[in-house]
Amino acid sequence: MKYAFYPGCVAKGGCPELYTAAVKVAEKLDIELEEMADVACTGAGCMPTQLSDPINARTFAKAEQMGLPIMTICSTCQGVFSQANHRLQDTDYREEINREYLAEEGLSYQGTTEVKHMLWVLFEDLGVEKLKSLIQRPLDGLKVSPFYGCFLRRPGPIMVPTKEVGGRRGYLEDLTRLLGAENVDISGKTKCCGFPVLTANEESSLGMVAKHAGESKQNGADCMVTPCPLCHLNLDGNQPRAESLKGEKINLPIVHLPQLLGLALGFDADEMQLGKHIVSTKAVNDKVDMLT
Amino acid sequence: MEVTYKVHREDSQNGGESSFSTYQVDLPEDATVLDGLQKIRDEQDDTLAFRASCCQGTCGECAVRINYKAQFTCTTRIADVTKKGPEILCAPVRNIPVIKDLVFDMDRFTWDKMAAMKPWMEPDDEFAPTENLVPESEMAEVRKTMTCYQCGLCDEGCAVLPVDFDFLGPGAMVKGYRFVMDPRETGPRQEERLAVVEQPKGLWDCVHCYEANGKCARGLEPSSKIMEMRDVSFKHGIKNEKVARHHNSFINSVKQTGWLDERKLVMETEGLTNIGGLMKLLPTAVRAMTRGKMPGRHEKRPGADQIKRIIEKAEESK
Ligand code: SF4
Ligand code: FES
Repeated sequence: MKYAFYPGCVAKGGCPELYTAAVKVAEKLDIELEEMADVACTGAGCMPTQLSDPINARTFAKAEQMGLPIMTICSTCQGVFSQANHRLQDTDYREEINREYLAEEGLSYQGTTEVKHMLWVLFEDLGVEKLKSLIQRPLDGLKVSPFYGCFLRRPGPIMVPTKEVGGRRGYLEDLTRLLGAENVDISGKTKCCGFPVLTANEESSLGMVAKHAGESKQNGADCMVTPCPLCHLNLDGNQPRAESLKGEKINLPIVHLPQLLGLALGFDADEMQLGKHIVSTKAVNDKVDMLT
Repeated sequence: MEVTYKVHREDSQNGGESSFSTYQVDLPEDATVLDGLQKIRDEQDDTLAFRASCCQGTCGECAVRINYKAQFTCTTRIADVTKKGPEILCAPVRNIPVIKDLVFDMDRFTWDKMAAMKPWMEPDDEFAPTENLVPESEMAEVRKTMTCYQCGLCDEGCAVLPVDFDFLGPGAMVKGYRFVMDPRETGPRQEERLAVVEQPKGLWDCVHCYEANGKCARGLEPSSKIMEMRDVSFKHGIKNEKVARHHNSFINSVKQTGWLDERKLVMETEGLTNIGGLMKLLPTAVRAMTRGKMPGRHEKRPGADQIKRIIEKAEESK
């Protein structure tokens, strides 16, 4: 199994621990990654589609040349890619972009590149049986709140387009259970983390952090797991600010999807770089230590 | 068919806690949830408050959360909501103050926010004396949004409203779209129209979570409409200064290096001369630094020149 690996900007910037964990975990799972080094940021919903569609078409064309599907480790990258790829299925539109923007570099996108988040790869390509066989340390007793955020779920017709992939709606819970941990449900698990509105309305953004992390804590979770580093930046990085805004302590560790997976595959907290988080993951580390 | 209605009760004007009332009702197979509520009010409890008007799914008055999903009571059949059990849970739609039982405050919820969109045409005088034909191709999408029920189902699923009730919400944004995109309001008028949707608590307060797309009773894709207006706003120049700085910094860094320079983005968004704003970032920066999370030197990527060429060309065509 081989993918053109698209780590995204945040895993190479503000969440370097995500990159490290994903690469280590992929190796353990026999997922071969060839990193795409010469492609652009997706635009992350901050660039108008008029600018981001051409640069994303370029990325897809490059993967097509490599003959590989793309694997992402960021829901936002995945969401923007999926939506762009959806628009680029329109032949006229795609041809226009090829002509106007890609031809000069000798590139042309044929519309065939498949883009998958690591979470989807686990269930749809690797398979549950293989995953199970590689678990070395079931996370017994660890209470985990799955937090999807927006982009792996919506817009529904694009992110969960067919019955065959309908399971995408529950992959995070399935994975948590599969790794031996206990699911702690919260009402906002598919809601927004607040990151996109940090610029326009900080209070609203931090309010969402407090709401989700607070509810998760109240329901007894040891940590939250998220497939999106932007959710992580807000839920983890801005949790202290959300605490001051609300005047209450939350102190809930937030782990990246590959980190949780890595712990069950036998990596220790240092290898998964849990020490790089803003909210201390001590509660998680302690529980996991007791399992070994 | 014997069903059990469990209905939210609340009388906010007279104080008191909210509670549930339970009613046993015998209804024909093809009855709607609204039929049941009416029967309860006629035969068992005339204090039960709910709203309905057209009874045919066109006015949007009767929106209720039925078994945790907001929908119209008048078009939802009891047979469809009792597949898993005979109980029908009716609660008011979320994110809106309740007046009584299932009746929510339409003034604050819908009308005030719709009114903030200045929902009337103000064509330029030069157009007034004669007929002004507009091409159907430009009108089609606009006309679709004119069919909005103003039912508020889109607001019901909104991620922002629970933390900020003053957010204008997707429903009002759809109304805004109807005018921003109206070909009779383009040109200089479109600037003014954009200023209306870009007012504080408007266009830029949306988190583009795409919840509203899945909720709209008319299939109007309110979230997509918001994103389309953002693209238009970008062409005219974003009016919210901080958001504009954010977008410009974002685009510039991708243009110059191929990818996002997060450190620069955070600082340029605050404004490099905004000392107060920059100071506010300090604690977060220190925390990130001590955890070894601070991004290192931002290197230009291979391929960056091609990326720059593409973005510049796309900008020219705007
Ligand atoms: S946009 Fe759709 S969901 Fe929102 S008020 Fe209009 S019809 Fe109802
Ligand atoms: S009563 Fe008009 S839509 Fe239900």
